[in-house]
Amino acid sequence: MGMQGDFFQLLKEQGYTLGSSAQVGSGQEFTTATTILAFKYRDGVLVAGDRRATAGNMVMYDRTDKVLEIDRHSVMAIAGVPATAYEMVRVLEHSFKYYRRTQLQELSFEGKLRAVSKLLKDNVSAALAGTGAVAPIFAGYDFEQGTAKIFFYDILGAEFEGVEYAVSGSGSPTIRGILHYVNTWGEQPLVALPEEQATIQALRLLTSAAEFDSATGGINREASLYPIIKLITGAGVRTVPDAQLKPLYEAQVLRHV
Amino acid sequence: MYEEPYRWVEAVGNRRTYLDEQFKQGSPVVALTYDGGLALVTVSKGTPKLYEIYDRIALGGLGHPADLEKLRFSLLEMAHTEGFNRSPSDVTGSRLVKYGMAPVIKQAFEEVYKAPFILKVLLAELGQKPEKDTLLTINYDGTFEETTGCAVLAATPAVQKEMTSYLHQEMSSGLSLAQAVATALRAWALGDRAQRQASEDKERGDEKPTPAAKPASLDAASLSAHLRDRVVEKTIECAVLDRNQPGTSKYRALNQDELGRLLPNDLKAALAS
Repeated sequence: MGMQGDFFQLLKEQGYTLGSSAQVGSGQEFTTATTILAFKYRDGVLVAGDRRATAGNMVMYDRTDKVLEIDRHSVMAIAGVPATAYEMVRVLEHSFKYYRRTQLQELSFEGKLRAVSKLLKDNVSAALAGTGAVAPIFAGYDFEQGTAKIFFYDILGAEFEGVEYAVSGSGSPTIRGILHYVNTWGEQPLVALPEEQATIQALRLLTSAAEFDSATGGINREASLYPIIKLITGAGVRTVPDAQLKPLYEAQVLRHV
Repeated sequence: MYEEPYRWVEAVGNRRTYLDEQFKQGSPVVALTYDGGLALVTVSKGTPKLYEIYDRIALGGLGHPADLEKLRFSLLEMAHTEGFNRSPSDVTGSRLVKYGMAPVIKQAFEEVYKAPFILKVLLAELGQKPEKDTLLTINYDGTFEETTGCAVLAATPAVQKEMTSYLHQEMSSGLSLAQAVATALRAWALGDRAQRQASEDKERGDEKPTPAAKPASLDAASLSAHLRDRVVEKTIECAVLDRNQPGTSKYRALNQDELGRLLPNDLKAALAS
């Protein structure tokens, strides 16, 4: 008998295992071909991700959703092996629901964070073998502290708080520098940006990442392909619709040379 | 002693008498459709009686809280593993009742050496379309029924029948949530009053209820008055499966403020006390 209301335990008792138990150390390179980012803005946290899925130098799909809602108040953005990442999201989604419904209270934000790192820890062997490495960003609203928070993880499950921002994926080195610059010497720090300015910033950052990283999908106006941008506030998670991104992109991001 | 078939039948009969006795003080549960989905209403004392089971499934219970907890956990376990391993749309109320609950409850009821479940359960399931909304009830012996529109749980089948016919008479299509809650509470009052009447009659020893008391009592004012008397030190509980709720989970328990705003004036006083 595990902890009360632990859905992952329940699954394990029924013989479920997360990820494959592949041979450790087969020496594959960890592929995290993507760009995801999260930063705090005036009303909460913005989480964004590009839409491209790649296999080696092949573009598999250009409409992937890498910013996934776990429940009404938390979001996980995924970088890494999609199969494992989506499975983790499914486990988390059911775990949080199961906890809420059995224990008749919402799982605390701390508890949610623990659940994420526990899953990553269980996945270490697959991560090291190169078949299941995932380095996600988890963001949500912490009701106990009355604020939205960002956490990011390495593939072994170590948890770090992104006090101002967090990035992950192959395109992240490019925008990490930009975020630092903008946040330190920009007109105003990220945390002071109103919603619209924050959205513009996210579009610009993802466009920059796509400029330098072939594995990050850019914005394609002709195909009306825009990144996924979600906003987390005390009222819950909200997706910024494409109809709103389009004019912002055209007026504030696009430059005609 | 139970080897003989007759003894067993007798023992099961005794169980019915015993169980019927247990529900006498129970608080009825009412479920009905409104324009945004399904609403469940009851009046509880201490332990809650309405619960979320899955994305589109809610539970209302009548009976012993410990038995209800036990059953609720097994339902949650079944629903969530199924929803995870297959898909959320494969978790249906009908399967939970027919394969999950009914056999267990029936077996416990008929195994005369062991304790039966002291409970009656109502499952409400929000369909993808309004015409697919279903209400399922299951009795302490494992018999179940599937209906649409409205369903109730009460101490005896007679009271349940009285409540449902009242609901059928009062309900019209496209009720707002406020109207649905008011109707449900009046139906609750009707059921509660009938249960009390029945047990008083029994104590006095007359098997037949006094026929004169019946006709005048169906008007809203007298039902509201009964509700006001009975709700003291208790809580009106209301939960909805709201079709317009964003996200996958459609269950929402109404808090006291929200409920206060919804209640008609003659019932507001009941809540305030």
